[in-house]
Amino acid sequence: MFLSKLKLKATAATAAAAMMAIAPTLGAASPLGSDPLRLVIPFGPGGGSDITARVLSATAPEFCGPRIDVVSMSGAAGLEAVNFVRNAEPNGHTLLVSDYGPIVTSGYIDDVDWSHDDWQPVMNFTEWQPTVYTRPDHHIQTIDDWMAYAEENPDTVTFGHASPLGIVHLPLILLEETTGIQNVHVPTSGGGETRSLVMGGHIDLGMTLPASIAPEVASGELTALGVFSEERASQLPDTPTFRESGYDVVLPAWLMIFATTDVPAETVEFLQDCFMEALESPTAQAMNDRVNAGIEPLNSEDATTLYQNTVASIGNILRDIGEIE
Amino acid sequence: MFLDAFADALLLAFSPEVIFFVAIGIAMGITLGAIPGLSGDMAIAILLPVVFVLEPAAALGLLTGIYKGGMFGGSISAISFGVPGTPGSAATAIDGYQAKLNGTPNKALNTALYSSVIGDSTSDLVLIFLALPLAIVALTFGPVEFFALYAFSLLLISALTKGKVAKGVAMAALGILLAMIGRDPVGGSVRLTFGIPELAGGLALIPVLVGIFAVSELIIQLGRAWLERAQRITAETEKRAESLLGDYDPAKDKLTFAEFRATWKATSIGTTMGTLVGALPGAGSSLAAFISYGLAQRFSRKPDEFGKGSLEGVAAAEAGNSATSGSTLIPLFAFGIPGSATAALFGAAFILMGMTPGPRLIYDHTDVIYALFLILIYANLINLVLSHFLLPLYSKIAMIQSRILLPIVCVLAILGTFAAGNSVIDVYVLLFAGLFGVVLRLYSFPLAPLILGFIVAPGAERALRQALLIGRGEWTSLLSSPIAIGLYATAAIMIITFTFILRERK
Repeated sequence: MFLSKLKLKATAATAAAAMMAIAPTLGAASPLGSDPLRLVIPFGPGGGSDITARVLSATAPEFCGPRIDVVSMSGAAGLEAVNFVRNAEPNGHTLLVSDYGPIVTSGYIDDVDWSHDDWQPVMNFTEWQPTVYTRPDHHIQTIDDWMAYAEENPDTVTFGHASPLGIVHLPLILLEETTGIQNVHVPTSGGGETRSLVMGGHIDLGMTLPASIAPEVASGELTALGVFSEERASQLPDTPTFRESGYDVVLPAWLMIFATTDVPAETVEFLQDCFMEALESPTAQAMNDRVNAGIEPLNSEDATTLYQNTVASIGNILRDIGEIE
Repeated sequence: MFLDAFADALLLAFSPEVIFFVAIGIAMGITLGAIPGLSGDMAIAILLPVVFVLEPAAALGLLTGIYKGGMFGGSISAISFGVPGTPGSAATAIDGYQAKLNGTPNKALNTALYSSVIGDSTSDLVLIFLALPLAIVALTFGPVEFFALYAFSLLLISALTKGKVAKGVAMAALGILLAMIGRDPVGGSVRLTFGIPELAGGLALIPVLVGIFAVSELIIQLGRAWLERAQRITAETEKRAESLLGDYDPAKDKLTFAEFRATWKATSIGTTMGTLVGALPGAGSSLAAFISYGLAQRFSRKPDEFGKGSLEGVAAAEAGNSATSGSTLIPLFAFGIPGSATAALFGAAFILMGMTPGPRLIYDHTDVIYALFLILIYANLINLVLSHFLLPLYSKIAMIQSRILLPIVCVLAILGTFAAGNSVIDVYVLLFAGLFGVVLRLYSFPLAPLILGFIVAPGAERALRQALLIGRGEWTSLLSSPIAIGLYATAAIMIITFTFILRERK
C-alpha cells in the first residue's frame, strides 16, 4: 500500500512539474523544504472550492517555496479528507481547504474523534453569500412576496437546498426559526440539480452561491431574491440582503485553509504570509477576476475570529432545531 | 459574422498544435480508460491546470481527447478481462467478455470501437445543432419523470434476465440496498453503516463495480489456475514453454462487414438512447448503456444470444455510453447546468479560462466554442484511426495466459481504485465486493442487475423522495406527468409482450 502511494505521488509530481512550468522557485529560502504542499478539499473536483484552491496552487509556489497540489477527497461525505489532514504529519505540508460544513457542522453532528479546537485557520479565502433565487416568471419575485405568500400558505413553497444542513440549507433553517414561516425543504444533489429543478418549474425557490447564478441574473434568466450576509454580494449588486428587507438573518459561508493545532505557530505564520502575498500578486488578482472567485483574503487572526463565531452560531442553530443537545 | 467566426474556428481547431493535443489526449484516455478504476474523468481532473498554460482551444482539445479516449478505453478492459474500465462500460462487459471467452476478442473490440464512434459522432452533432430544444425537453424532467425513468430501466434489466427473473429482481434489490448505505438524502442522518464511520459517505461506485465484476473474476480464475496447476505438476511442466499466447488464432477473429451490419440496429438504439439519456442532467453514461442494452435485447432478432457473447449486446452498450458524450454537455451549454461529473469538469475548465458556461458562452467566445465543436467531431476520427492500430495489440494482450495477466490486472485494479478517490477504504470495499462477487458467481446470480440497482438507486431514491415532498406525500403525484405515465406504460407493455413471446416459443 505504502509503495503504491509513493509511486502515485511520484507520477503526479512529474506530471504537475512538467505541466506547471512555474516561475523560479525560492525553495532554498523556504523553511518548508522542497516537499510539496497538499491542499486537501473534502469535495469532488470542479466545484467552487476546487477552483479557488487552484488559484492559490498556481501562484503560491513562487512565494512559499515548494510545489502545491490540490487533492480532492470526497469520501465519507468529506470526512475522509478531514481525517486525512488530521492524521498527517503536523509539519504544515498537508492542509485542509473547506467551508464550514465538513469542519463546523460535522464536528457537531458526526461521530468524529476531533473537536473544533483541534483546528486553526491559516487564512480565509473568501466569504460566500448564500442567495435565494427563482425563475423570472414565478409569482414570488422579492423577499416580501415570499414572506407574505409563505405566511398565508404555510408549507407550500418548495425550496431546493443541496444536502441537508449544508451551507445553502442552514440559512433557510435560521430564517424559518427567526420569522416562523414554513417551507417544504427539498434536498438536491447540489447546485446544478437545484437549478434545473427551479428552471424547469418543478420547485419554487432554490439557494446557491452568487458566482453560479450571477450571469443569468444579469441577463434576466433568473431572479435573485436576497442574500444572507451583512453586505450585498459584489457579483449581485442589485440583490438586497435579508437584513435590508427587515429580516435579520446573516449566515455567510466562508472558505478557509486549516492546519491542525499541533502544527508549529511559526509554520502557520509562514504559510499565512506567503499565501496572502501570493494572492495579492498581479497574476493571482487576474486569475481571481477571470474565475470570479471573489477572493478577499483574511489573515490567520481574523479568520480565527470568524471561525469561532461560526462555531458558536452553527451550534445555536443546531441546538434550536434539536439536532444536538 | 458567422462565416468569419467559422473561419477563425477552422484555423484554431486544425492548427497543428491543437491536433497534436487532441491525439495525445485520446492516446492517454484510451490507456487510462483501459485500466480498471481509472476513468477519463479522473485524468481530466488531474490535468485541469493545463488550462492555465495552454491556449483555450488546445486545452479543450486535450480534455476532449482524454474524455473520448477514456470512454472507449473502458470497453477494452471490459471485453479483454471482464473488468469494466469505467462505470460506463459495465454493460459492455456482459457480452464483450463472453465474446472474448469464445475466442473472438477482436470482433468484440472492433464492434465496440465502431459503435462507440458512431454513437459519439451522432451525439456531438445533436449537441451542435439541437442543444437548445433538447435542453428545454431535459428541463421538463423533474423528480416525477426521473423516478419513472429509473423505475423503467430497473424493470427492463432485472426482468430481462431470462429464466431467472426472480434472481434478477433480487439482485437489483440488493444493489439498491447496498446503495442506501450512508447518509439519508433527506434527513441527513447516517443509516445502515453498522457504526462504521468510514461508511458514512456510502459505498463508492468504482470499488463496488470493479470489485463485483473484476476482483471476483480474478479470484475465480486464480482458483482455477491453481487447480489446473496442481493437476499439471504431476504431468510434467515442459508444456509451459509453449507460447505466451496459447492457441489463439488472430486470422479467424476478424470482424466482417456482414457481422458489423448485423449490429446496426443495436447501434442505432444505443445511439438514440445514449443521446437522450445523456442530455438529462444527472442520469449518466452507465444508465444509458444499460437501457440501450435492455432495449436492444428486446428488439433483437436473436435475444437468446445476449449474455453469451452477442456482438449486438456489445454494440448497444458501447453506442449507448459513448452517445452520452456530446449530449451530456447540452445542459451545460444551454443553461450552465453541469449534468454529469464530466460536464462539471468541462464547466470548471471553462470557468478557469474565464468563460462562463451557459447560453452566453457561444456568443461571447464564438471562435473557441466553434473550434470545440469541430474538435468534438474530428477527435472521433482520430480515435478511430489510433484505435485501429492499437486494437490488434490489445486483443493479443487479452489472450495472454491468465497466470501472467491476472496479477497485473489485479494490481492495476487496486491502484486505480485507490487513485480514483484517494481512499484506502475504497480498496477494502473493492476486496470485499470481490469476495461477495465470488459467492454470487458460484451460485450463478446475474451481476448486471446488482450493478444497475446500485448505480440507479441514489438518483431514484432522491427523485422519489423529492417527488413525494413536492407532492405533499401523495403517491398519486407520481402519475401526475404524461412523460412518467408514458414510461410506466412502455415498461409494462414491453414486459407483457416479451413474456407472451417467450411463452409462445416454448
